Amino acid sequence: MAKTILIVDDSASVRQVVSIALKGAGYEVITANDGKDALSKMTGVRIHLIISDVNMPNMDGITFVAEAKKLPAYKFVPIIMLTTESQDEKKKQAQAAGAKAWVTKPFQPEQMLSAVSKLVAP
Amino acid sequence: MASVVIATVALAVGVGVGYALRSRQHPAQPALTVPPPEARAQDLTRFAGAVTPVWSAQIDSSRTQMENAVGQLTETFAGIVENLDTVLTSSTGVLGEGQGGVFDRSRERLGEVVGTLDSALTGKREALAELHSLLSLNEELRQMSGEVTRIASQTNLLALNAAIEAQRIGEAGAAFGVVAGEVRQLADRSQNTSVRMVEKVDKVAQAIAGVLSTQEASAEHEGTAVAHAHGEVQAVLDDLMSMLSKMRESSQGLEQAAVGIRGEISESLVNLQFQDRVNQMLEHLRDNIGRFPDVAAAAASGVAPLDAQVLLDELASRYTMAEEHQAHQSGSAAKVNESEITFF
Repeated sequence: MAKTILIVDDSASVRQVVSIALKGAGYEVITANDGKDALSKMTGVRIHLIISDVNMPNMDGITFVAEAKKLPAYKFVPIIMLTTESQDEKKKQAQAAGAKAWVTKPFQPEQMLSAVSKLVAP
Repeated sequence: MASVVIATVALAVGVGVGYALRSRQHPAQPALTVPPPEARAQDLTRFAGAVTPVWSAQIDSSRTQMENAVGQLTETFAGIVENLDTVLTSSTGVLGEGQGGVFDRSRERLGEVVGTLDSALTGKREALAELHSLLSLNEELRQMSGEVTRIASQTNLLALNAAIEAQRIGEAGAAFGVVAGEVRQLADRSQNTSVRMVEKVDKVAQAIAGVLSTQEASAEHEGTAVAHAHGEVQAVLDDLMSMLSKMRESSQGLEQAAVGIRGEISESLVNLQFQDRVNQMLEHLRDNIGRFPDVAAAAASGVAPLDAQVLLDELASRYTMAEEHQAHQSGSAAKVNESEITFF
């Protein structure tokens, strides 16, 4: 049974790039445009890992992580932040909210897969 | 007085030189009337209010066009990658089935057919061997019949001698002569039966030989046919294997090409991440341009000085990428940093 990963990013091209890399490695993928959209897609499915952007409309990534961690089913689900953000302050906020890793864009698929496989096997 | 004259001359010379230099740099420009500071401030406010919405609209238009184009491009590429994955999966499955499944099953079935023919031929050869044994037994019967004929002949001769002796001794040998006659009759009948037996045995031998001849010819023909079938089946299997190998080679070539194309497309997709970055940069720039009329208005109304640093600081506060900060500080294009991974 393949593991399912939720990708949250307002950029369609980034969602596609991440999806292709993960599907190629045997993961199932669900996508969402922002934090609010992601929260609406998290019920009724088993998600093993979340990859989220930081700067997004409607609900930013750090708020989304904090909201997701309030849900009992997602308390222990690892979250990777995938962002263009370079500020250490934001990185600390993400860590405090419950994120497990911080990956900066533009990323190479191998790097992303390496980070993902450290947190969840395919 | 002298100093006033010198100063006047110097001023005149300076003005003249300045005019001459300006004339060389901007020839034939009409003289402008400089408006008062209040009017200039209002002009600047109007200017900012007029141009910034157009600049912002153009930036937004560029962002939208780029986002749509790159979005469609990534979607198309993603579709190609997905199709390639499907083709690769089905190609591998068909080849595996062809090599390990269809070929093995074909070989097994054809082997069963040839095996059945072989068994039939073996059965026939065994039957022929039995017929040969029968022929040998028949020959033995023939020899035995010949022996019976000889015994009958000798018995007949003995009976004849006995009859002669019985006749010679007269009345006393009459009864013995009758017995000798009966024995001669039995010997004759035995000889006749034996002759008929030999005839029958010969007929049986002919019949068996006839069957043997026909069946041996048939068995030889069938043996050749089975051997030919063996060869043909092997040839068909060899052709099938050769074809499958070529198909496999061809398919492997296609697979390698597909994997290469998939990799190149994936690499191209990675490069399309620029859209996300450029989009954010333009967004920051657009928002900063949008603030220009407010800053200009504040300066015009005397609330704040017209200070570029205000806008520049606001712009810098919106930066998310390291290269935005670098470009801001250096005034030139900055290199995109490699991806970094931090685990918490």
